Amino acid sequence: MKLSATKQLLDLYKEQSALEDYQSGVPRWCTGCGDNAILTAVQRLCRDEGLRPEKTVFVSGIGCSSRFPHYMKTYGFHGIHGRAFPVAEGVKMSRPDLTVFVNTGDGDCCSIGAAHWIHALRYNMNMTVFLHDNQIYGLTKKQASPTSPIGTKSNTTPRGSYLDALNPLTVSLGVSNVSFIAQAVDWIPETLYEIVKAAYHHKGFSFVRIIQRCPEWLPKSLDPWLQDPERVQLLHHANGLQISQGLSRVYKNQVEHDPLDIHRAREIASNTDIIPVGILYQNREVACYEDTRHSGALRTVEAIKKNFNAELDKYSV
Amino acid sequence: MEADLQAHVAFFLTGKTNTSDLDAIDRLKLRPALFAGYRDLTQLRYDFPLVLVKDQPAGASVESLSGLIDGILEKIARGSDADRLRKHVLRLEQHIRAQAANGTEGLLSALWDKAAKALAKEDKQISDSLSRARANLKVDGEVVDCNGSMPYHLVGHVWALAQTQRSKRFGEIVNRLVLKLSEILQADFANSNAGRTAANLKRTFGSGPMDQFDFDAMSRILSKSAPKENLTKNRKKRIEKLLTTLKSQQFFPTPASSNKPYVFSFDSCNDAIKAYRDRLPKAIELSKAVAIAELEVRGEYSEAKHDRLFESFGENGLDPRDMAIFPDYLVRLHADTLPGAELSSLTEIMSLNLPIKVLVQTDDVIEESPISNGHLAFALRSRQLARMALGMAGVFVVQSPASALYQLRESIVRGLDCSGPALFSVFSGIAGGHGQLPPYLIGAAALESRVFPAFTMDPTAGDDWASRFSLKVNPQAELDWPVHKLVLEDADCQTQTVERPFTLIDFVACDSRYAKFFGAVPKAHWNDTLADAGDIIARDKWDGIDRIESVPTLLMINPENQLQKVIVTEKIVREARRCLSMWNSLQELGGIHNSHAERLLAREKSAWEESSKAISAASTVAAAPTEVLAPVAPAAEAAPAEKEAEKSSDEAYIETARCASCNECININDKMFAYDGNKQAFIKDINAGTYAQLVEAAENCQVAIIHPGKPRNANEAGLEDLIKRAEVFM
Repeated sequence: MKLSATKQLLDLYKEQSALEDYQSGVPRWCTGCGDNAILTAVQRLCRDEGLRPEKTVFVSGIGCSSRFPHYMKTYGFHGIHGRAFPVAEGVKMSRPDLTVFVNTGDGDCCSIGAAHWIHALRYNMNMTVFLHDNQIYGLTKKQASPTSPIGTKSNTTPRGSYLDALNPLTVSLGVSNVSFIAQAVDWIPETLYEIVKAAYHHKGFSFVRIIQRCPEWLPKSLDPWLQDPERVQLLHHANGLQISQGLSRVYKNQVEHDPLDIHRAREIASNTDIIPVGILYQNREVACYEDTRHSGALRTVEAIKKNFNAELDKYSV
Repeated sequence: MEADLQAHVAFFLTGKTNTSDLDAIDRLKLRPALFAGYRDLTQLRYDFPLVLVKDQPAGASVESLSGLIDGILEKIARGSDADRLRKHVLRLEQHIRAQAANGTEGLLSALWDKAAKALAKEDKQISDSLSRARANLKVDGEVVDCNGSMPYHLVGHVWALAQTQRSKRFGEIVNRLVLKLSEILQADFANSNAGRTAANLKRTFGSGPMDQFDFDAMSRILSKSAPKENLTKNRKKRIEKLLTTLKSQQFFPTPASSNKPYVFSFDSCNDAIKAYRDRLPKAIELSKAVAIAELEVRGEYSEAKHDRLFESFGENGLDPRDMAIFPDYLVRLHADTLPGAELSSLTEIMSLNLPIKVLVQTDDVIEESPISNGHLAFALRSRQLARMALGMAGVFVVQSPASALYQLRESIVRGLDCSGPALFSVFSGIAGGHGQLPPYLIGAAALESRVFPAFTMDPTAGDDWASRFSLKVNPQAELDWPVHKLVLEDADCQTQTVERPFTLIDFVACDSRYAKFFGAVPKAHWNDTLADAGDIIARDKWDGIDRIESVPTLLMINPENQLQKVIVTEKIVREARRCLSMWNSLQELGGIHNSHAERLLAREKSAWEESSKAISAASTVAAAPTEVLAPVAPAAEAAPAEKEAEKSSDEAYIETARCASCNECININDKMFAYDGNKQAFIKDINAGTYAQLVEAAENCQVAIIHPGKPRNANEAGLEDLIKRAEVFM
């Protein structure tokens, strides 16, 4: 027995929830939107891992993706644009017992929230982050985002965007203290779920970029990858993902990649012709900020009062 | 020469001599030749004295003085004055070692300062070197030399540190639970009518402009919005009981605890067992309280389910891992108190897996036989204890002379922190007839001579003997006896080097009680029949001797370091053979010359040679051009590729596992299409919709996983066009 008898007893009557227990409301996302696939994968994760709704928090910023907390019957915080990370960090710092997820979009994370994103990677707090990357501002009806491919025609770039897209993977892999970087695509639900699961189990800042289709504003932009499985490269390793036989029949472009090899991870992440899918980097040894800073002191009424008074005393004359 | 041999053989066989040629070794003050370099240990750098480090929870609990000095020198002895610093600091180390050897006790800082003060009088440079070194001394603690009380102090120190760590962990658990449980009660009170009275609101307001607030109005408003449900009576009672149990526990001193903590260190196994039995119900009650409190704090306690479960909690004792949160009991005793009730209590501790750690100190491993002079039973009584413990599953066992305890410090730490019983059987080397030899040297000699080998048995290290059992501290463990070089100067002042094993004979020769079993041969009578004892007692040699043509002798030295040859009697040789046999059996347990493994290896080797011959013969045949040789059988046939369940192109289906849950098909017809338990689409009822809807869903599907098949209703309108559109999805 891995756990002691008492620990087994404590979990004996743990309540199990069904998928429906995590569902809240009818998503307002467009029909065909990739966000639905992410929502399903995450709800499956909650069910399979037995996450208690009252101990689970979804934090988001602004955008299509950031409506995510509304559709989860857990705690949620629909924050302000680009600031999902600071809110999530505050939640984690104050309540390390909660399971914290962050849903953010390519505009929310990579544009207005870019500074927070970089430092959240560096702080490596234990949370699971999903970057819903549909390469466009969808909620505000089609403006180019940092990850829009060059030449994307939009309301803000009617002649096509001028800059190469920002690559969230290479950016993340360049930040110190990074501990988990993975990429998934919404149209392969099996690997999406497996990656979401691996990210959840990683202790640290698990960053998953999920490339998703936007059927409304960029309906054809991902077709070349959707229609040609050879252009999707599955990463597998004994310490990473294992690919099922069924998936192998469709996706034959596979490569073994050790998630501890950050140099190779950066090389793979730089490839824009082929979409790599899997765990690019995982280092379990990186310390979490909340553990580093945790004083171990209990937050008793007296301690809170003392700290509060000390703060106020700074302004007393 | 013949007369000499006769006299020597007679002494060898009977221990008596008719001639006056042989001299008593105790009169000559002889010691084994291999001890030549160890006259004054304070002049040598070795593991002792030790520093029992205090106040370093993350660092080592025990350090050797030499190790600490080396660490300091590594930091400061650089640059042009490195040699000077090294010389001065090493002199200080020698002074401290001499103080410890003379029985001075105290903290390292005190011994250091005393030695430094004495040395600093010599010149200013020494004072400078030592003050620079002192500034880099980051640890402090009691200095203990290798003496009779060292094992007691060392084990007690490491045990106390392990208990402090446990106490800290336990304190964190209890304090957190007490706080959280109190908060539940506080919240309940704040939500109750009593908590919302004007008086109470005023009391909780603190200081400030009280007259600006109308607490009555506040009370009225808050009372209206009070939650309808408060804690149930049962829950409140349960939480209050938990708080009482947690606050009154006596296992650890915590701020929450109001009672005096128990004592866990004992001098007798019997007392420790009694204390353990008396406290067990309290331990179970506390363990139960911690478990229930965890559920209460998490809001998961369900009376319907958990009440019955916890009624019988601990009836069959506690899981050792649950017991690991409590302090362990420590018993420190001497082996001479063991026979009788204590031994049976010790056996009970080990057989019942009680969390009691026992240090048994043996001071004499070659005590005289209680039966009669005719019987020697060296080391058997003291060694049987640890050997017995090896046979009991789950007991952490360490056997070692005191001299090797520092090398085994990590095992001692693990043993004292493991969750079950542990036995530390230690030979101190302070008793017996060893005269002026220091206990460290006696301990080291017992280890070298295999009289008291060191081993560890760590049941937590794995499932097999290879993982659990270790002999690695024994010198040259792969050999019967460790072999050392002895540098001699002959009569012509020429240097010679010989190799000699250090055996039980050397060890016994140090003990004056057994001097009668040795006879020193005057140099005038030295001849070729005086053979090396180590050679004679070697494995497989003794039994082959059918006529005594030489007698075993040992090389010893007198106080002037002059070499002597000493005849050893047959009784001692027999004991040495017995000691070797016991060592060999330990070696087998440790995987050295394991007879089972060696037999298996021989069998496999022979089978491999046979098969090599067969392959070689087969290749010769294959070389013949006219014959076609069947290919060598592949290691394993390639597994046939798993065939996917083929779907007929006439039948409509969805590749459900690939569905991205995008709602396209569901929005077209939610009777025909539905989601499964993983929210992935499948065709629920093919008859609930039209072929046109199937085709439309296939066209709209983002990941193209809907296959419409052939139409089921031949009369549906526009079929020709629909079939054409559906072709791409077949």
